[in-house]
Amino acid sequence: MTEVVNGSDFGGITVHDFSEKILEQVVHFHVMKLDGGFFLWVGSAPVLSNLAVSMSSKYDLMPLSTLVMGDPSNTAANSLAQRLGKKLQDDFSFKNLKNQDLRCLSENRLKGPQFCSAPRSSSAPPPPVAAL
Amino acid sequence: MAEAIIKTRQAQKEVNGNPTEVVCTEFSNYIFVVLTQYGKIGTLISVTPDSRSNDISTPTFSTKVLLGKDEPLTHVCAKNLATFISQEAGNRPILLGLALMDSSIDTIKEIKELIKSCQVW
Repeated sequence: MTEVVNGSDFGGITVHDFSEKILEQVVHFHVMKLDGGFFLWVGSAPVLSNLAVSMSSKYDLMPLSTLVMGDPSNTAANSLAQRLGKKLQDDFSFKNLKNQDLRCLSENRLKGPQFCSAPRSSSAPPPPVAAL
Repeated sequence: MAEAIIKTRQAQKEVNGNPTEVVCTEFSNYIFVVLTQYGKIGTLISVTPDSRSNDISTPTFSTKVLLGKDEPLTHVCAKNLATFISQEAGNRPILLGLALMDSSIDTIKEIKELIKSCQVW
């Protein structure tokens, strides 16, 4: 994996929207690619409920993760951000799905090749997410 | 592919010599605005309209730094930038990502115009 220093290959914020029918329900994904991170929202209704931030640390194998907005008893946003943070370096994440199976399948959709290639511009070298 | 469920608009412009990006996203309960000169979300601030006891008084807003440097100027900038958005969006709360190289009044004024160019509410 080649290391990409923040700012060196950043060509501006790009936004990607996609949706998929999972368990007979349409789940929407909204990804904002930032310099050295992502903002991600997942939901089936256009509501912003929980926001978690995750960042990898050299002191721990699992990325650090914290909920900055929403219901602390709902750990879904926190754990999703943490797991995606591990895959995608660092990441802002929203989670708004109540069904556990739907959450797992949505997460799989995000880890799939379509997501990994979507935020990449054709000219820029692959960002760290390409190491998946 | 189905149409995106949330509306997003973005704009960019050089403000006081610094390339500035604005991304506005509309959620039903929030307007999410990213204002950045670093390509990052930076300081994340929640700007919420206070419930008013009567309609005669001028509306007031509460700011809360969710992530980043919690200093007075952050609150001032956030209120200045987000108040008009909230009022125009039917008193919806604003989630603001602020990463500015300078916080001069001229920069803030120019950025406000840039926000107006990507209105999603």
